[in-house]
Amino acid sequence: MGAFLVRRLLLTIPIVFIVSVVVFSLLHFLPGDPAVLILGQEATPQALAALRARLGLDQPLLVQYLRWLGNLLRGDLGRSLITNQPVLEVILSKMPPTLELAIGAFLVSVLISVPAGIVSATRRGRLPDYLATTFAFAGLSIPHFWLGIMLLLLFAVQLKWLPASGYVPLWENPTQNLKVMILPMIATGMRESAIVTRQLRSSLLEVLGQDYIRTALAKGLREQVVLVGHALKNAMIPVLTVSGLQIAGLLSGLVITEQVFSIPGFGRLLVDSIFNRDFTMVQGGVLVAALMVVTVNILVDILYAFLDPRIKLVTSEAV
Amino acid sequence: MSRLALILTLMVALVVTACAQPAPTSQAPAPAAPTTAPAPKQEPPKAAPTEAPKPAPTTDAAKAAPPAAAPAAADTIVIALESDPPRLDPHLSSAAVDRQVFQSLFDTLVDLDENLNIVPELAEKWTVSPDGLVYTFNLRKGVKFHDGTDFDAQAVKVNFDRMMDEKTASARRAEISSVDKVEVVDPQTVKISLKKPFSPFLSVLTDRAGMMLSPKALAADAANFQNKPVGTGPFKFVEKVKDDHVTVERFDEYWGGAAPTKRIIYRTFVDGNVRVVNMKSGQIDMSNLTPAKDIPSFQSDAKWKVSLKPSLGWQGIWLNVTKPPFDKKENRQALAAALDRAAITKVVFSDLSAVPGWSPFPPGTPAYDETKKMPARDLAKAKDLLSKAGNPTGFSFTFKIGQDAVAQQLGQIVQSMAGEAGIQVKLEQVEFGALLDQLGKKNFEAAQIGWSGRPDPDGNVTNHFITNGPNNYAGYSNADVDKWLEDARTAQDTAARKAIYKKIDDQLAEDQPFIFLWWPVNDKVYVSNLQGYVHVPDGMMRTQKLVKK
Repeated sequence: MGAFLVRRLLLTIPIVFIVSVVVFSLLHFLPGDPAVLILGQEATPQALAALRARLGLDQPLLVQYLRWLGNLLRGDLGRSLITNQPVLEVILSKMPPTLELAIGAFLVSVLISVPAGIVSATRRGRLPDYLATTFAFAGLSIPHFWLGIMLLLLFAVQLKWLPASGYVPLWENPTQNLKVMILPMIATGMRESAIVTRQLRSSLLEVLGQDYIRTALAKGLREQVVLVGHALKNAMIPVLTVSGLQIAGLLSGLVITEQVFSIPGFGRLLVDSIFNRDFTMVQGGVLVAALMVVTVNILVDILYAFLDPRIKLVTSEAV
Repeated sequence: MSRLALILTLMVALVVTACAQPAPTSQAPAPAAPTTAPAPKQEPPKAAPTEAPKPAPTTDAAKAAPPAAAPAAADTIVIALESDPPRLDPHLSSAAVDRQVFQSLFDTLVDLDENLNIVPELAEKWTVSPDGLVYTFNLRKGVKFHDGTDFDAQAVKVNFDRMMDEKTASARRAEISSVDKVEVVDPQTVKISLKKPFSPFLSVLTDRAGMMLSPKALAADAANFQNKPVGTGPFKFVEKVKDDHVTVERFDEYWGGAAPTKRIIYRTFVDGNVRVVNMKSGQIDMSNLTPAKDIPSFQSDAKWKVSLKPSLGWQGIWLNVTKPPFDKKENRQALAAALDRAAITKVVFSDLSAVPGWSPFPPGTPAYDETKKMPARDLAKAKDLLSKAGNPTGFSFTFKIGQDAVAQQLGQIVQSMAGEAGIQVKLEQVEFGALLDQLGKKNFEAAQIGWSGRPDPDGNVTNHFITNGPNNYAGYSNADVDKWLEDARTAQDTAARKAIYKKIDDQLAEDQPFIFLWWPVNDKVYVSNLQGYVHVPDGMMRTQKLVKK
């Protein structure tokens, strides 16, 4: 286990390195000049050139990259090209709402998808199954954006139960925070639950068709015991894979959800920085996102071993 | 199981509301009190009861809105912005949205009134030397910066020096490139000398170049001034949370008297639909850039006031005259003749957020030519011009447009109108930063991008149409136009300038490096109990006198 962790952590270094190279090159191939966005459309070519030189943007790409990498190794992600604030500080300040939203949405998703998946697999072909699959189908097809606006229109404009926006950090005002966060959690969680419901249903159906389930039932075990003790645990592996991917996606920002519900999170920071050609901010942001994805993947791998002892973390094949 | 049922119920509810929503008959559900408060007489409502539990950031507005028959002025006014203001430093700002927040934080040397006249602000009066080269400003006494320091002539000099210093990388440097030097005559008098006469100078000072920043704050940390701006405005900076809000609070020592409202919160709502939902749920007191489709629902609702006023800007299509197909003047004229301006404003803007336009000088601005009429759509003329250009069956071109819904609609309507004349249009959506880049490199055939406009006519044409001008995306070059632009800049007499701008206007209509299609209308939508707002055509929300009863 310990050796596994060390090896996986070491493996993240090349992954993150490759990500940083790709992001760096992509950013610089992106049309759009930060100098023009800083100095405005009326700037003279001389002024633009001078600014590029001051920002180091006139250096060869490799030099720029190595300089950035050197600072990174010292734990310095640089300062924003636009606001001059330290990149790391800004990113960290945007993480709490995103983390909260990701965790909340995941909980909503589990609360919906686990019962829905089980019901639909065990009552296959009957009304509950149809309802659950219809729900999953709708959840996948309804655009995020539209669902968000509809929730706002219903709960904020018509019923006036909840505010349409006004995020405050959880530790400052928990009630207000939850009032603002509950709708985005539901909107995102519903979509995620649709995916998990489908996955759980199909993998559960597969497991329920296995010989050992028939044997267990033939031994006279109660259906619930077989379902929970035997089937669910084995059906969980692919579900876990899907959930892991989802959490990783949620953590790297939910641009649309954050925009609809006016939450100042990580996703909006990234998109905003791309539009402003705030290169240092985007590089730092993507790096942090990559680290989060890698971390979640490691956690998922560890959970595999708990669910299925046949998966050994120490063997090199397990990676 | 029961959870499933609950979710399904919710889904049904959603679909029902969705179907019910589009009806614009805004029957506001509960708000029993439309409060047409008969304007209380006590104009300066000194300090509202200071009982706010603590400076809690925002959003109890929703709770307060429906029942409170608010007798006194509200503590807080919430203003919606269309994007996050990137840089709160007037010298560095290059986004229009920054300017809205600056209205609270900063004062300008001179300001604009409703009719675009230049009026005193930090400068009480000024004189211009007969040759137009020296501007002498007499500064107002008793003006303080938010950090307690005095505003004086030395402060003006520090501000200009900073803008003119290349190292500042100031977006203002190009605007005040005519300035030669700034001299302090005495603490209340400052003399600005120009390299050559520049008639638009005062009007430039009504915008960011005329805003005065605290020299003390600049000396302390100029690079981070934008994160803690200090000005002389009616409100002082409290905090900014990126992508969320900027809070400013009343400056009690403001030279014009303390503002009646304690706090203003600027909140960012990037998406128009989201902004509208937040307005209707009572989160916002004032907003602009409301989507045209939603304006009628506010007009018919007694809880809201809608103010529409022509802006200073122009919109239309840039044509790259340096390469085919638009290097031929007839092709440019043919495309222009194929377009129906009235239909465009009707379809795309519901005749609300734009009016048909045909010149760089919109109505209400000094160089507007009231004798000119809208060029009518003329397909026969378009086809005739195509024959003259040697391509009687038409030609095709790629039209680069932005990514929003309005740009898409516009692209499609241009596509179908041009198609009827035999001109094939391929649409390409490009992100704004990339579009600017491609325009700068002349990497386009036609592109939709306009200009927000300036109060002086010079700011609406010179940089765009002078040879090698920084905004001359078309690559247009006409020696006559160049000379006229220069003449109009240096002429001191308003009537003479207007006559020159008419010649420029006529020549641009002939050459068509840009097809002027519509003049944007500036909208402001605000709660009907908000008082003290004056709609100046520059679109800025001046906050000093705003008060919500």
